[in-house]
Amino acid sequence: MTTYIVRRALIMIPTLIGMTFLLFMLISLAPGDFSMALSVSGGGQMEASSRAATIAYYEDRYGLNDPIIVQYGRWLGRISPLKFGVRDQRTDKGELVRPPREVRKPALWKLFIDDLPNPPPPDLEAFAPGQEPARVYRLSANDYARTRTTYLSAATRFEVEAGRVLREQSLDKFVADDGRLDGAKPAGFEGFLFTTQRLPSEAVEALKADPDVERTFGAAVTAYTNALASRNRIAASFATKPHPEAGMPLIPRLVWLGKPDFGISVSRSRPVGALIAEALPVTLLLNAIAVPIIYFVAIPSGMLAAVRQGTWFDIASGALFVALWSVPIVWACVLALGYLANETTGLGLFPVIGLHSDDADAMRFLPSFAGGWRAGFLLDTLHHCVLPVACLTYAGFAVLSKQTRAAMLDNFNADYVRTAKAKGVSEKDVIFRHVFRNSLLPLITMFVTIFPAMLGGSVIVERVFSVPGMGSLLIDAIYLRDREVLLANAAIVGMVNMFALLLADVLYAVADPRISYK
Amino acid sequence: MTTTAPAPTTGPSSVGGEGLPIARVDNLAVSFDNGRGPRIQAVDGVRMTIYPRQTLAVVGESGCGKSVTAMSMLQLVPRPPGRFDRGNIWFDSAEGPVDLLKLSNRQMRSVRGNDIAMIFQEPMTSLNPVYTVGDQIMEAVLLHQDVSHKEAYDLAIKAMSDVGIPEPHQRIKAYPHQFSGGMRQRVMIAMALACRPRLLLADEPSTALDVTIQAQILELLVELKATRDMAVMLITHDLGVVAENADVVCVMYAGRVVEYATVFELFADPMHPYTRGLLASIPKLHERTERLVTIKEVVDNEAEFRKLPGADKGVRPWWPWHDAPADLKARDEPAGDYYLQEVRPGHWVGVWRTEAVADHESGPPDLAFRKVDSETTA
Repeated sequence: MTTYIVRRALIMIPTLIGMTFLLFMLISLAPGDFSMALSVSGGGQMEASSRAATIAYYEDRYGLNDPIIVQYGRWLGRISPLKFGVRDQRTDKGELVRPPREVRKPALWKLFIDDLPNPPPPDLEAFAPGQEPARVYRLSANDYARTRTTYLSAATRFEVEAGRVLREQSLDKFVADDGRLDGAKPAGFEGFLFTTQRLPSEAVEALKADPDVERTFGAAVTAYTNALASRNRIAASFATKPHPEAGMPLIPRLVWLGKPDFGISVSRSRPVGALIAEALPVTLLLNAIAVPIIYFVAIPSGMLAAVRQGTWFDIASGALFVALWSVPIVWACVLALGYLANETTGLGLFPVIGLHSDDADAMRFLPSFAGGWRAGFLLDTLHHCVLPVACLTYAGFAVLSKQTRAAMLDNFNADYVRTAKAKGVSEKDVIFRHVFRNSLLPLITMFVTIFPAMLGGSVIVERVFSVPGMGSLLIDAIYLRDREVLLANAAIVGMVNMFALLLADVLYAVADPRISYK
Repeated sequence: MTTTAPAPTTGPSSVGGEGLPIARVDNLAVSFDNGRGPRIQAVDGVRMTIYPRQTLAVVGESGCGKSVTAMSMLQLVPRPPGRFDRGNIWFDSAEGPVDLLKLSNRQMRSVRGNDIAMIFQEPMTSLNPVYTVGDQIMEAVLLHQDVSHKEAYDLAIKAMSDVGIPEPHQRIKAYPHQFSGGMRQRVMIAMALACRPRLLLADEPSTALDVTIQAQILELLVELKATRDMAVMLITHDLGVVAENADVVCVMYAGRVVEYATVFELFADPMHPYTRGLLASIPKLHERTERLVTIKEVVDNEAEFRKLPGADKGVRPWWPWHDAPADLKARDEPAGDYYLQEVRPGHWVGVWRTEAVADHESGPPDLAFRKVDSETTA
């Protein structure tokens, strides 16, 4: 059994990689990326050149100007607990400090000069005399950020000028919508492997002859040299280990163990891990109430329906559950809001939005009677949960109840049930000890399908009731093309799914001695 | 040759006590709801008697009502769709004679597995797959005997070794799927016998097993019957099994008893054409024949029905596919056209209630015969 579990756990790794790879490709190859979403949401007002600079800045910041396969590898490296190369460092505030990134060379530089200038070797003592390492690192980090940004805008200006010249040569296919050179960034399937394209010789001549291109190229090279010098400095500073190293080394300088890092959300500029840590408990709270309700209602009623097959209870419960199951969730949510929650159109019995009242922070946890009735945090939260939980549960009874009923009926006529009766086992023990015990397998399967859905959260319910759970997080991320959040969500849901399947297999073996994994 | 039956022996006082039978089925009728159309009469006026240490073989083809009769003794007939139309099953229980059909669920549960145990045809599916065989044997013990868990465990071990399961201490923790078919049937028997029942209903216990295992299981039943002072009702359609194991044979057809006699008498002198057909259709080792006689050939032969002693007086074997005789004096009661006639002392045949037997009263056929006894006296 243990061997089986270990083997299954190991198989999860390639499965997870395959799954996230597919999703990564899907997101990357879908038209439009988050910078487009950004320009739609306000970037549209910008002047073309500064918009290009903004986009270039974001591309650089999130590494979007690398080939997709490189981007995926980087993402995988971040979420993997097993990491390779130089270890990250962690400041005393808990922030992760990564080794400094490379500076990308200006586009088409080989057309203009034979060799890019080399900056002098870094001299930390001269840069920040007498400072302690952490401070030196911060100063050089600030400097690197500034020089890198300067270089990015200089390079963008050069690319926009070069793009103008190529357009004049009717070579629009080398120019992106934002005016920069296309091929400097990956786009579509071409971007999958190639980042530069070959230019025809007349276009090269025109580029070399244009004075604006030459001027901006010169500025870009200067900025590049500065950025490279700054980069060398911060690399030297990082090498002095200004902060304690993160994680645990496995093979020195090669492999180490670290926390999976889901990156920074593009749309909210916050670590994805923190966003999920906020949203997950909300969804778990709703489902921790909803799922037991589903099970405690559906299984006993399914059992009773099977025991009293054909009676009014069987028919009525079946009809009611199927009727509930057929009610569209959106409609049910809106009706619940309008008739039960809204004070003007309905009864106003329940809160309209959220999981807590505005003054929830000031509440005690438990209700108090001293000096008048106060509901307290617990009851307040439960009060807010009523409608969302109701909308999450009502459709779930039918399937589980019917499954239980069918499984029970299958076993009622089994020979071993007759044997048990012939032994003199009471009706109750026949149902619980013999029939129900044998009906567990389909219920385990059901449990496994429900379990990952618990974490995914119900998008509709969370949206309608403005509950900030995993469903809300996911739908926002989809709207804003927040790749990091989407990928993190997929990875987590995928992992939970796989663990749920493994759990089901283990439970099968526990429930049915005929199943063994040897 | 007499055609007059002795005074009917039935009622509560007819069972139990020295020399009296342990169970007596009297005029049992069970029918099932067909959903649409008339109810199906599975058993109609069945009568039989079982004595302690006796093996009563109930023989007949599929659907003739032999299993329903046995299931009725434990009220295991699913109701609905089943229904006990009439009749009694008198049984000599610890609290005196009782009618098994009239017992409440609670009373019935204390009989099931305790006084009367049953083993079934399908050893593959008759054990619960999710419990160890030990659990299932102990369940029966704990239900009926006031013993601790430890004692029940020891009893289960004992029961398993009694039925010849090797290494019971290890096997008690095994699950049914880890046993072969024959071993599973042994487990079923161990389970049935763990509470030392006085009557064992064995519903085709060896049918699903291959021949050598079949023989082992039947030998085991004979041995246990002798050591436990137990009566066995052996339901089978295998006449070889009957000849080997039975003391008394009850041949059933279409829900009624067509012939009832000791095993020697029945095989030596079958009187009902159906029984003759059954016996004729068995291949015999020392005879070389092109083809076997079928039952149909026998029962389709009108002359066969005139061979019954008393045929000249108008006693005709009952046969559902025949038109009733002209002188039928059917009584105004269910199965009133049929009568179990003691054609010869200790040999009953189901006949039409014609003029000749119109005023005869029948009780259950009653034979205390045991092969073992006759062998020791012989």
